[in-house]
Amino acid sequence: MAEQELVTIEINGIELQVPKGEMIIESAKRIGVDIPFFCYHPRLGKEQAANCRMCLVEAGTKQPDGSVRMMPKPQTSCTLPASQGLVVFTDTVAIQKARRGILEFLLINHPLDCPICDRGGECPLQNNTLFYGPGVSRFVEEKRHLPKAFPISDYVVLDRERCIHCARCTRFSQEISGDAQLEFLKRGADTMVSTFQNTEFTSRFSGNTIELCPVGALTSRVYRFRARPWDMKSQKSICTRCSNGCNIWLDYRPNRLVRVLGRENEAVNEEWTCDRGKFGHEYISSDRRLLSPLVRRDNRFVTASWVEVYQLIASRIRQAVEERGAGAVGAIGGAHLSNEEAYLLQKLMRVAVGTNNIDHRLERNQVAGGDTLLARLGVPFTQTAIADIEKAKTIFIFGADLVDEQPIVFLRARKAWFRFGAKVIIAHPEPTETELRFDEPLVLRYRAGTETTLINGLSHLILQSGRAVTDGISLEELQASLSEYTPARVAQETGVAEDALREAANLLGEGTVILCAGRVRNHPEYAVLANALVNLTLLTGNGSRGNGGLNILLPEVNSHGAADMGVLPDLLPGYVPVNDREARERIERIWKASLPAEPGLSTQGMLEAAAEGKLQVLYVIGEDIAQKYHDPELAQRALENAGFVIVQDLFLTDTAQYADVVLPAASVAEKEGTFTNTERRVQRFWKAMNPPSPDVKPDLNIFAELAVYLGKPLPVFSAEQVMEEIGQVFPAYAECCYDQMPAEGVRWMPTLTDRGK
Amino acid sequence: MITQVAKRFVKTVLPLAQGLSITFRHQPPFHEPITVEYPEQKRPMYPRTRWRHVLRRYDNGLERCIGCSLCAGACPARCIYVEAAENTDEHRFSPGERYARRYEINMLRCIFCGYCQEACPTGAIVLRDDYELADYHRSDFIYTKEMLLEPIPEPQEE
Repeated sequence: MAEQELVTIEINGIELQVPKGEMIIESAKRIGVDIPFFCYHPRLGKEQAANCRMCLVEAGTKQPDGSVRMMPKPQTSCTLPASQGLVVFTDTVAIQKARRGILEFLLINHPLDCPICDRGGECPLQNNTLFYGPGVSRFVEEKRHLPKAFPISDYVVLDRERCIHCARCTRFSQEISGDAQLEFLKRGADTMVSTFQNTEFTSRFSGNTIELCPVGALTSRVYRFRARPWDMKSQKSICTRCSNGCNIWLDYRPNRLVRVLGRENEAVNEEWTCDRGKFGHEYISSDRRLLSPLVRRDNRFVTASWVEVYQLIASRIRQAVEERGAGAVGAIGGAHLSNEEAYLLQKLMRVAVGTNNIDHRLERNQVAGGDTLLARLGVPFTQTAIADIEKAKTIFIFGADLVDEQPIVFLRARKAWFRFGAKVIIAHPEPTETELRFDEPLVLRYRAGTETTLINGLSHLILQSGRAVTDGISLEELQASLSEYTPARVAQETGVAEDALREAANLLGEGTVILCAGRVRNHPEYAVLANALVNLTLLTGNGSRGNGGLNILLPEVNSHGAADMGVLPDLLPGYVPVNDREARERIERIWKASLPAEPGLSTQGMLEAAAEGKLQVLYVIGEDIAQKYHDPELAQRALENAGFVIVQDLFLTDTAQYADVVLPAASVAEKEGTFTNTERRVQRFWKAMNPPSPDVKPDLNIFAELAVYLGKPLPVFSAEQVMEEIGQVFPAYAECCYDQMPAEGVRWMPTLTDRGK
Repeated sequence: MITQVAKRFVKTVLPLAQGLSITFRHQPPFHEPITVEYPEQKRPMYPRTRWRHVLRRYDNGLERCIGCSLCAGACPARCIYVEAAENTDEHRFSPGERYARRYEINMLRCIFCGYCQEACPTGAIVLRDDYELADYHRSDFIYTKEMLLEPIPEPQEE
């Protein structure tokens, strides 16, 4: 970024230097001068609305002779840019009077039903009135009356009486989420916020408008009347609903989660949350949670003690190992576990059971030896940091409905386009919601199944154009393999017009961020497609430098962490191949145990073996494979035919119905640990509540105790201690020790090859 | 000798009689008793006395409490627990949108400061003159909403 020109301004007699053009309301923050406001919000839009008039200041400019020439009227400090010699007064008698007047006006039409308003206690209008407002109102007439508690969606309630028309919600929906569903109707005293013809407010980010609203006009239907701010406690946590790793606050009353708020992290979610994250944590306080271990007896589940189930599990595992060898035991799961738990799970399987049959992947991208990206780009899944997406020149959304699959990555991508003018290419076989959120993006509507052809066609065009960057590629080989993908042929096969292909190829270049999600991960020929995508990335010069790069975004909260921790059949923690003797021996020395050298079975392999009755014990942790596996029928057959099925989960899922033993696990609010999000950022979450019953245990404890019953104790006292051990085994995690971890988390850097960024 | 005895008598017995006379003056039949036979008889309390809480109703029988939890916020002993819910037309408890589904006071913790009464925006929670709060079990000191609510007033005929 270029050096910004600094100007000298004066606020309340204090001289300071600020970047030219910075709004005075922000400059005042630098020296701790408080300016009240309602509509100003640093993240909203390119410009502020300046319609609440609360942030008025008196301003003037210094003349060459040293005198100050004041502007005739107060100025809104949220739209007053800093310029050389600007003199600002924020607390004069005139300003105090103006603030009192503004607040008296706002309160004329505000119902003052604070005792029953969900915003009461944390309401900017209450606070500003207390500090800057008049004590009494001169307005004794009847106030305006409008519909109260009008639900505009399943999540949001609108109270039009309380609205002060600050336009925060409308600006959010137009400029940040891009769905533009909220707008002002009518003018003057009749102004009201509304959706188009009172249709449902279906935005995927509607929850943010609740947090933005400076009064109680938009409130949550889920949180409605559940608690007041002073009734609850808050704990820092990480959202578990997708791999983006949004920082959230869990607000809870004694043993009941009441709401989720966005927590600021500039590197990940800024301060936004999607609706799935904001309203999707109700499961934590569900009445249907498992409360004690269950054992199947006479085809019925009966409650059992932990000692009983541990003994049963240990005896069945020992029996299987004795009869058929350790390969007859397998574990599936880990993408919903914390890093520490995933690490301990694979250690349990490898050390205490002695098998490499362990995998967390439920999709088709179960490639052996890690990912193609790891081999060729040096990163496991993603090259670009979420925050760096906004610096992209071109954003290529390939086969993903980003709004739905990766909401927070979508917000960054949209910010890159809306704020910084990035070009957007969207390739998807069907019309998606994401396309509607950008103005006229370049859409490549290819036929499903021709993904590889499309990518190779684009690579071919870039190679032909002579712009291709060819470091680290065997050019001749690539030219030969791409030569058959002529634009004409690609256009014919994929159904994308040749002009569109050429236009897209022209836009792709240095600074291109490629964003892929579920469609790529689930591609039948994932390895071939990933290879083609890596070729395209390298040819556009995004292999190792700049802000561009290839990103195959992940499905679950800790998919990345599970892979890092070696919940993979052929890789130990830190992507160490199990058959690499030297590296394996290093880990053996740390663990003081010998490890199996043969790669184990992937999820697909385990399920196939189980379906044929070859797997004696199947341990499923936190995954509903009967529903969510990409081939659910195979998973169901496997569960039916496996000798002994252990399911560890929060609920009695469809998978648990097949189980012989069900272990109740603690939810994210009831334990501590770290998650690694899709951009490799390791972030901590803390324990908020106690589990719903004393028989519900964190997964970490279950693994540690099971190891004791299996005769190979893995002494564990806390998640922190496990993280220290992870740092020894996988040095990239060494910075993630709890006492060192910075607030925004640690984005670990691969040092596997010098090509990694 | 006799005078000496008389002098001594006067010196010792007279003050005794004097003192006892005050005692007898405050005894029936000369004076009404000051103590009361407590369980059978009770003293009237002062009007602003602060004892057991009562949740009041409006004359039409609706609860005054709107479940706003301001009493819980004001309580220095943190002894009030409020859980609010929304009124519907079929199940209406209070006039507005909101009512208290659960309202509990832990009487063991309460210090009878009356801040809750002061904080209440609708005059729902008041401290009245029922001071007989002893009980046998700790759990019995959690006063629930049902225990605290006034009975529905009889419709007055006039």
